[in-house]
Amino acid sequence: MAINPITFMSPAQSVNEVNVQNQLTPANAQQQFADTLKEAIASVNEHQKTSDTMTQKLINGGDVDLFEVMIAAQKASVTLNTTIEVRNKAVEAYQEIMRMNV
Amino acid sequence: MNEVRNLDLFGGTISSLEKGLSYATLKNKTIAQNIANVDTPNYKTKEVSFKDVLNDAKQANIPAYRTDARHYDFKINIGGSGVYSNENFRSRANGNAVNMDAEQAKLAENTIYYNALIDRVSSKFSTLNNVVKGGR
Amino acid sequence: MSIFHSMNTTASALTSQRLRMDVISSNIANVDTTRAKQVNGEWEPYRKKSVTLKEQQGQFSNFLNMAIGKTEKIGAGNGVKVSSIKEDTETPFKLVYDPSHPDANAEGYVQMSNVDVLKEMVDLISASRSYEANITAFNANKSMLTKALEIGKG
Repeated sequence: MAINPITFMSPAQSVNEVNVQNQLTPANAQQQFADTLKEAIASVNEHQKTSDTMTQKLINGGDVDLFEVMIAAQKASVTLNTTIEVRNKAVEAYQEIMRMNV
Repeated sequence: MNEVRNLDLFGGTISSLEKGLSYATLKNKTIAQNIANVDTPNYKTKEVSFKDVLNDAKQANIPAYRTDARHYDFKINIGGSGVYSNENFRSRANGNAVNMDAEQAKLAENTIYYNALIDRVSSKFSTLNNVVKGGR
Repeated sequence: MSIFHSMNTTASALTSQRLRMDVISSNIANVDTTRAKQVNGEWEPYRKKSVTLKEQQGQFSNFLNMAIGKTEKIGAGNGVKVSSIKEDTETPFKLVYDPSHPDANAEGYVQMSNVDVLKEMVDLISASRSYEANITAFNANKSMLTKALEIGKG
């Protein structure tokens, strides 16, 4: 069985790749935060829509229980508050940085 | 790159509480039906199965294994809510089988159970709100 | 099946029991009526009326929705209704000896209505108790709904 030599990678290249996999570059951190925020907003939208649908069913006397409506409303409210706080913290952090004297 | 986690604040306890509330609401409807029919001839008491409601009726849509084409296909019925009629033999002269004392006891018990769950749910949401707002 | 489904069930029971009580009151009021209606040119005394209760089935739209898979919940039932008010034609009229009565027959007997007051009183108490039990169920349901409205205000 012939062992194929690794010819397409130089020693320096492989070390760099390992570093990239273990460390978080600023670009990656930003990307992750952006994704989390997007997830949060999508989640808020979902919950708000669900809450609206349930409320509509409640108004029309449809197939829903009262506690379901109330719980859906609470979930929507909590996710909204969460996203607002995340945004607030991000804005605060930005402002802190902008206030730093260079 | 690490995977982004799903923003799921409402796992475990809250979803169990919702199922419990579902069960309590259905049981309340059943008890109301039983009490309403305490004088109806040939009425058999209805009950709710806890396991059926908890296991989420959607998964219980099992089609019937029919050995004869004339047998009914009960696919629709099984996907039901867990309410079933109790064909017990303790009945009065007119065939009615409702035990009023048992129903009243069940009503009181169910109301307290429901109130307890509502309390817990309310409190969990308060906690979440507090945490998110950072105690402000 | 709305949030008030349980209340509607109880309301149907309250209506039925009240109707039952009305019929019983009518029976008791007419215990001495010897001329209730004319049959073949002759006056007949009052015949006792009784109600038949039946479990109310869901509306057709509910079953249709279930069949096409729109609604999952079969539900607990829809209450009770009075299916008919029938006259009691089996119990014979009571014969009372009273030759001076305008409706006495040739032998001096008057046909009185077939209402048995004691039995009616027992029925009345039973209807009354059922009515109260349904009121309890209604109050329990109302308290549950009110409590659900307070989710999140704690």
